[in-house]
Amino acid sequence: MSKNVALLTTNFFHPKGDRLIMGGAERYQMDLCRLLRDLGYHVEVWQIGDSWTKEFDGIKIRGLPVNKTEYNTFPELNMAFYENAMSFDYALYFILSLAYPLAREKSIGISHGVYWDWPGFEVANGKQENRQEWLRRMSIALAGPQKLVSVDTNTINYFNATLPGFYHKWEYIPNYVDTELFRPPEETNQANDKIRILFPRRMVPVRGVNETMRAAEILTQKYPQVEFHFCGRGHDDTMEMLMSQWADKHERCYYYWKPFEMMPEIYQQADIVLIPSRSTEGTSLAALEAMACGKPVIVGYAGGLSNLVLQEYNGYLIKPTVENLVASIEELLHDPNKRKLMGKRGREIALSFDKKKWHAKWATVLSSVFS
Amino acid sequence: MPKLTAMMIVRNEAKRYLQRCLNSLAKYTDSIVILDDASEDNTPEICLTYRQVKLFRQKESTFLDNEAQLRHKLWHYTLNDRPEWIVAIDADEFLEEEAIKELPYLLKQKYFNAVSFRLFDCWEGEEYFRTDGLWNPWRRGFSIYMVRYLPQLSSAWPPLKFHCGRFPIAYRQLPHYESSIRIKHLGWANAVYNRAKYERALLQDPSCQYMSKEHYESILWPPEKIKLEKWVERSSI
Repeated sequence: MSKNVALLTTNFFHPKGDRLIMGGAERYQMDLCRLLRDLGYHVEVWQIGDSWTKEFDGIKIRGLPVNKTEYNTFPELNMAFYENAMSFDYALYFILSLAYPLAREKSIGISHGVYWDWPGFEVANGKQENRQEWLRRMSIALAGPQKLVSVDTNTINYFNATLPGFYHKWEYIPNYVDTELFRPPEETNQANDKIRILFPRRMVPVRGVNETMRAAEILTQKYPQVEFHFCGRGHDDTMEMLMSQWADKHERCYYYWKPFEMMPEIYQQADIVLIPSRSTEGTSLAALEAMACGKPVIVGYAGGLSNLVLQEYNGYLIKPTVENLVASIEELLHDPNKRKLMGKRGREIALSFDKKKWHAKWATVLSSVFS
Repeated sequence: MPKLTAMMIVRNEAKRYLQRCLNSLAKYTDSIVILDDASEDNTPEICLTYRQVKLFRQKESTFLDNEAQLRHKLWHYTLNDRPEWIVAIDADEFLEEEAIKELPYLLKQKYFNAVSFRLFDCWEGEEYFRTDGLWNPWRRGFSIYMVRYLPQLSSAWPPLKFHCGRFPIAYRQLPHYESSIRIKHLGWANAVYNRAKYERALLQDPSCQYMSKEHYESILWPPEKIKLEKWVERSSI
């Protein structure tokens, strides 16, 4: 008889249950559910929603009609989940703060990276007493689960410096890439004088989209061979409209997004890939996929990106200002050998983040808690 | 590659965009199921010049009286074609060229059983599309145009005489992949037909249940009240 695992998240589907935008977190959740299924567990998911039940990729997803947030925690959702998932043997808290205030005995909390370095977090919780209250709640969230899994070392370091009592609970399981699916393109002798620069993320300020748009304006004006491709969803319809309007007005700037299955081809066609995040970052799936396709990457030094990129070895680790972006892109523009060398090294690094290793590490953690 | 079947209702399309639409569909579909709603021109003859077309004909037109019944009929003809995926498109709608590259990936992917697109209403020709009010393609959201055939789902249609949708209700509730491929809609591109379309819309929906009165009125707005944006052809990497 298979054991039951209940996973709690906030928004896999839009809370109204009518929209699903597949980003990195959603893919991670689906891959984790598939892994659990392969290991013989039965998995169901709970999230914020109007009491609906849906099924996606063979997994039941249920909406819990609570949406109150306090100090960036979701106590009502946490407690509704505790009661509703009572018949389940084990629990996964897909976001660390979801384990506040009450965690199931055999449970694991997951961090996808520091999100409290986002300026909006400071605006909402900047007051000393608010910050203290958030941290107090996080200390309860960390105390509950038996293990805490982090996709990067940045999160672990932050908490070890801030709430050191949980040192023994942390496990570092970095993000992953299927290196058989994401692989460098076949070498061809076809001359191609275009330089394609790819920004493969959500079109949101924390990902450095505004800096990249400005850099695109400068570099497409200066170099006729340069193209900029912005490939990813906006945060909302208006953002997608503004991106489309902007791209239509700028020569050699393109805006679109593509299904996951097409992404290997998109990376393979690129010459340089940008992940210029300012904050709210883990070990980006997009960065790993670009590296696995043998591309040099220019990344912001937010979150766990420094777990993936060594300065001037497989890319550039920069403060993603317009000037720094332009300068690092120009270095790669002028030096095809450097692009090639960095791409080759990126591929080697990506191999150590292969999805099979991710499976094995998760299987070990699961067997130690869910037993 | 999974089989893609297009389904379409046509009526008196010969002088409009039918040939262009079929040329476009022939590039990316395996089969095109067409229900001709008693055309009085040579629409059926044009359809039959395409090898992929399977044509069915109504003796009397029913589109304006009972659209749901017609759609339901087309659905059953389409299922007889043993489709794996079905795209429902009108004779004045065009998936942009980029679709040819992307569709094989959409058909092969395993997560979503439905795919939605944004519709862009071209206005006064094909170079511009309309963006004011409910015409705004971004604010209006995505609509499902392509579904995987799932035999376990019901084929029930809402009992509406018009605005009854292109797919059975169960398919419209599927989680869907929102594609960035645009649909270019030429139904409003020729102003000559717009008054007749406006009058037909109000005749069908006199109490403005389906759309606001203002939206219907906006069909006849003077150019200075209408916002347009240029349609720019796009390509990916």
